[in-house]
Amino acid sequence: MTGRGYLGEFELMLLLAVIHLGDEAYGVPISRQLEKYRGKDVAIGSVYAALERLEAKGLVDSMLGNPTPERGGKAKRFFRITKEGLRQVHETRRVLTRLWQSIPDLKLEAPEEIR
Amino acid sequence: MRRREAPPLARWALRHLIVGDPNEALDGDLLEVFRTGRSNGWYWRQVIAACGVSWCRSLYDRGHVLVFALLWSMLSPVWYATINGIEVFERASQTLGLLWLPLALIGWTSLHAIFLWAGLLIYLAVHTVLGKPLQRKDLRRAFCIVPLVFPPVYGATFLMANLYWYSLPGLAHAKLAATSWGQVSDLGILPLLIRFPYLVALLVALWGTICRVGYDVNPRFVDSVAGWTPTEPDAITVAPMPESTAIGRFLALMVVAGLVNSMIVALLLCRLPESQTASLTSLCLRALVYVASGVLGGIAGSWLYWKSPASPLRGGSPVPFTLFALTCAAGWVWVPAMMLFSEQVSAATAGAAMIGAFTLATGLKCATYFVFTPAQPQTPQWERGELFAESLYRPPFELHGYVIALGLFAAVVALASRSNYTAAALLAMSAFVFAWKNTIPRREAVEGKVQLKRAVIRVASVAVPAILLTLWALLDGVAHRNEAARARAATKSDARPSAYVAPNPKASFSESEIGGYESVVLWPYPEKKQIMSPLAVDDSMLSSETKRPLIIRFDGLYWFLQPPSKRPGLDAHVAQGTPTKVNIESNNAIQLVMDAHQKLSRAIWTAQCRQIEIEVENRDNKAGLVSLGLLLSDEDSSSKKTVYLGQQPIITTEPGHFFFKTKPVFETLRFSLSANAPIRKFNEITVMFLPDIEHTFVAPKIAIRQFELFPR
Repeated sequence: MTGRGYLGEFELMLLLAVIHLGDEAYGVPISRQLEKYRGKDVAIGSVYAALERLEAKGLVDSMLGNPTPERGGKAKRFFRITKEGLRQVHETRRVLTRLWQSIPDLKLEAPEEIR
Repeated sequence: MRRREAPPLARWALRHLIVGDPNEALDGDLLEVFRTGRSNGWYWRQVIAACGVSWCRSLYDRGHVLVFALLWSMLSPVWYATINGIEVFERASQTLGLLWLPLALIGWTSLHAIFLWAGLLIYLAVHTVLGKPLQRKDLRRAFCIVPLVFPPVYGATFLMANLYWYSLPGLAHAKLAATSWGQVSDLGILPLLIRFPYLVALLVALWGTICRVGYDVNPRFVDSVAGWTPTEPDAITVAPMPESTAIGRFLALMVVAGLVNSMIVALLLCRLPESQTASLTSLCLRALVYVASGVLGGIAGSWLYWKSPASPLRGGSPVPFTLFALTCAAGWVWVPAMMLFSEQVSAATAGAAMIGAFTLATGLKCATYFVFTPAQPQTPQWERGELFAESLYRPPFELHGYVIALGLFAAVVALASRSNYTAAALLAMSAFVFAWKNTIPRREAVEGKVQLKRAVIRVASVAVPAILLTLWALLDGVAHRNEAARARAATKSDARPSAYVAPNPKASFSESEIGGYESVVLWPYPEKKQIMSPLAVDDSMLSSETKRPLIIRFDGLYWFLQPPSKRPGLDAHVAQGTPTKVNIESNNAIQLVMDAHQKLSRAIWTAQCRQIEIEVENRDNKAGLVSLGLLLSDEDSSSKKTVYLGQQPIITTEPGHFFFKTKPVFETLRFSLSANAPIRKFNEITVMFLPDIEHTFVAPKIAIRQFELFPR
């Protein structure tokens, strides 16, 4: 069902945001979560495009809410992670953790010899 | 407190410029964040990003379609050359007579469609081999779309190529390669123009076969509802598909299809009577038949789409076809009059188009009101305190008002520049939008029979003035034609025994009151006390011993044509004058082509001539570069060979050297003739005036003075 066994950076962030938000996961809070942790603006359109891609891969599900007046009569679309999505997040985390453990402590400054 | 509203244009863009169905959730999300205090600039940035992402995604999903269409259309010049080589067309045209045109159109479309269908079959085979078979419905749709898309795209490409025949570099003398491989690998302008309609037809046909996994078609969406309870449990519902939008789009497509079909029928059938003294009764009958044929053609076009496999209305429609056809017929009745006026290059074309569009829009709005309008009328939702905060009436933003105003303004400009087709399209668009927005349909629901009865009465009441307008177009056309025939007869009465008909000095442009000509031949005034060519060619001048040039004073003809004509027709207007003293311009938005032809009494051997100089007289005060192209031809040889010596710009027309001229400027242009030219001798010199866009519709006031031929 999945096209490949690993997730891209943005996809992983989206899946983590969806897990973190739980039942409140729709476009606005998801993009706010990303903005909060990434520290830069996120286009909601690209969030939806990536979520569509994840839905096509079977990593998330979505459903519509009722229209509300503060949204101009437009419905919210709630997202939920699937079992396959959760499995892939765990897998990616495991790989990344192993990779990080194999690397000694890194400092933010560049090494002296490179300067 | 008034609620903040997002920029209307940005909201419109979000709904209409995103690929696929509008994303309601994204629309709502953006509005929700915007109302928390974000700026208009932020909203615009989000909309642009959303549109960009959706377009990129759509293209990415269809990358293989694009690659396949490009590859298959690369082969199309071979197929094109094969079809062009079939000689049965010419024989059939002589045998079948009038029936030839529709049969040829069907046969031509089928032949080109065969190539495209073969491409679709190969695409299907590749998908099947790769284990990704296409849906049968999509394939059927693709096969049906190909012959519908190819002819209009080919026609538009052909029209554009003709309009810019001399402006696009290399097009005027482009030829297809002789071998199949050469045709496939050639990336010149002509093969690319040939490939374009095939590429577009394939792309349009295959575009819909890629079904993007969207929210509304995802089966997991419905499955996931059960067993999942978010924070708004009772609020969660499955949003219905926006069916009215799809139906509305298809109805609009059918209106356009019917209109195009009606125009094709009118173009093929609507002709002025052959007789010069047609009776009023026969003209009335003719007008009646034309209007009826226009309506029937339109109905047939719409019916074909209504019954096509891709139609969403086959399973049931909110508007019965009879009612839809009768409603549209009220607009199509004006098409024959419009076509007759357009053949006469009359500004009344725009008037007829405007009336037709207005009638069509009012009828459609009334007939489809209950399809697109919600059952319950929307009433404003007043918030607490808002009634007192809103003390002044604020008129709503109406984008269509600007569209109508701009359309009217542009139409007036187009009419002033005699672009009748552009003016007709703009006025029709403005009238349609105005009528659509301002027609107030009856709110009460009526029975189908009553609606039909009303539609019949409406068509009948509209048909009477439409027939009268068609009759007027016929009367005006006959009068115009008779006047032109009289003028031609007067012109040809002084015909002199020459290859061309000599002009009557009385038929000068300043005295002519006739609206326009299909082509014009100008015969320059002979200058006094000069020996006129064709000169007896002095062989000694081009002999090996002499270096003196041979001077030939220009006394040939100037041709003023419009593509696709390559020479003046039998009805060409012949007059005396030079281009520097007459005003010739196109009045039908088709490019004007100007050539000068000098016939020589004796052929000159190319081996004896190394260079040709052309002296021109420039009195043109319209800015814009004009170049001259030189063509030498041997009219005596059986194959009528030609050699093109390239083009040279006239320096005084270049942007840096242009100035307003109070007296003529003389200039000499030089063209080298290779000893290895593909012709051995020539007896005609053709000078082609190659203007830029400024002189596309106006002939430059530049005349040829003389040619100087230099010996080797």
